[in-house]
Amino acid sequence: MAQWFNFVYYYLWIAPHVFLVAIAGIMFVRRLYKNYPIFFAYTIYETFEFLLLFIYSLNGHNFGSTYRYPYIATLLGSTALRFGIIQEIFNNIFRDYPRLERLATISMRWVTGLLVCGAILSVFYASASAPADMMIGVKVLDRAVAIIQVGLLLFLFSFSRLFGLFWRSYTFGLALGFAVLGCAQIVNWTIGLLSLTEQSKYFLDLLPMGVYHISVVVWLGYLLAVEKPVGPTIYTTQDIDRWSGELERSK
Amino acid sequence: MTATFVFILLALILLAVFAVLAARRGKDQTDLDHALAQLRSLDIVAFRNLVDPLEEDFLRSRLPAHEFKKIKRERAEAALAYVRALSHASLQFARFGDVAQRSPDPAIAASGKQIANSAVNLRLQALNATVRLRLTAAFPALPARPLRPLLEQYDRAQYLMLKHSGLMRAESRAS
Repeated sequence: MAQWFNFVYYYLWIAPHVFLVAIAGIMFVRRLYKNYPIFFAYTIYETFEFLLLFIYSLNGHNFGSTYRYPYIATLLGSTALRFGIIQEIFNNIFRDYPRLERLATISMRWVTGLLVCGAILSVFYASASAPADMMIGVKVLDRAVAIIQVGLLLFLFSFSRLFGLFWRSYTFGLALGFAVLGCAQIVNWTIGLLSLTEQSKYFLDLLPMGVYHISVVVWLGYLLAVEKPVGPTIYTTQDIDRWSGELERSK
Repeated sequence: MTATFVFILLALILLAVFAVLAARRGKDQTDLDHALAQLRSLDIVAFRNLVDPLEEDFLRSRLPAHEFKKIKRERAEAALAYVRALSHASLQFARFGDVAQRSPDPAIAASGKQIANSAVNLRLQALNATVRLRLTAAFPALPARPLRPLLEQYDRAQYLMLKHSGLMRAESRAS
């Protein structure tokens, strides 16, 4: 492989995890882990996962069958944590709106049901045409999971927008980062199911790594912008008077 | 190959949707003038008359069936315009409540929370009313259910907003 490729590859593998450590640190200092315990656990988990896989890779097990099993095992953990984070985002958005929370819970169950059906269909469709291989199976399943996760995030964005709910900066950033990552995973696993040359596979690896890097930067950016308010922070007395004047008139 | 194309296209469309949401987030601010114009356009008395079941009974007793259906459809469509305005007003109330919730003053923050919750309930009622009125406009022969909860919710939101402005005035006088 060309030197530039190795540089980009290792940068995209290492840098996001350095940022994840920074995110965990900021969350700890600002005590945000109380609001987002699962995301906090996710940042730590992803860092340890990286260390484990990186050590494996350095020991010459890169992409071999000995690398495959810890990769799949840690992927399972990441996937489960991502579902937990979506639940965490949901709880944070609707916590102050008990009535809406009930409606959102019911709607989300229906949406999840529909997404699971869509994901199962995508698995059946892909497994009918793809060769029987463990990694192919992992790609098909992970794409199905990505479809469900992106669908749930889209539902959260749409539902809260319908009711004019305001998202705190980091909640929005968190959801946005995972949504972008999910979309990239759908593309990555879909292309990965095609018959590619070994070299193309290496290049394709840069896609999820690059998008993961973008997502981590999004999380970090929104976390740092947490104090920056969107819109006015307070209405002036003059504004309030205009409001109440209109309301009195329409009574 | 078709499936590959569909999945990639779907992911790219979703990505574009999320990019638009992120870009629009910064612009999701309350335009006070627009909000006031929305409120100004609301003639609640006229709306109450439009959705009053007694008015409907009166019209049914006075008009021939086909004429009554036509009038009922027109009234439902007119009421929809008001519901739309109420629905927009609820979004402004929600934004207003959210801004107030972030106040360092606990009394104003508590009032803001009440307004935000009331706004969400108003929006729910407005969406519910929209469905009902669309059904009424499509099938005028069906008995219409009263929209009292929507009007009650609007009254509640309005009361909370006025209470909040009183609180703000008292705060500014005290400081």
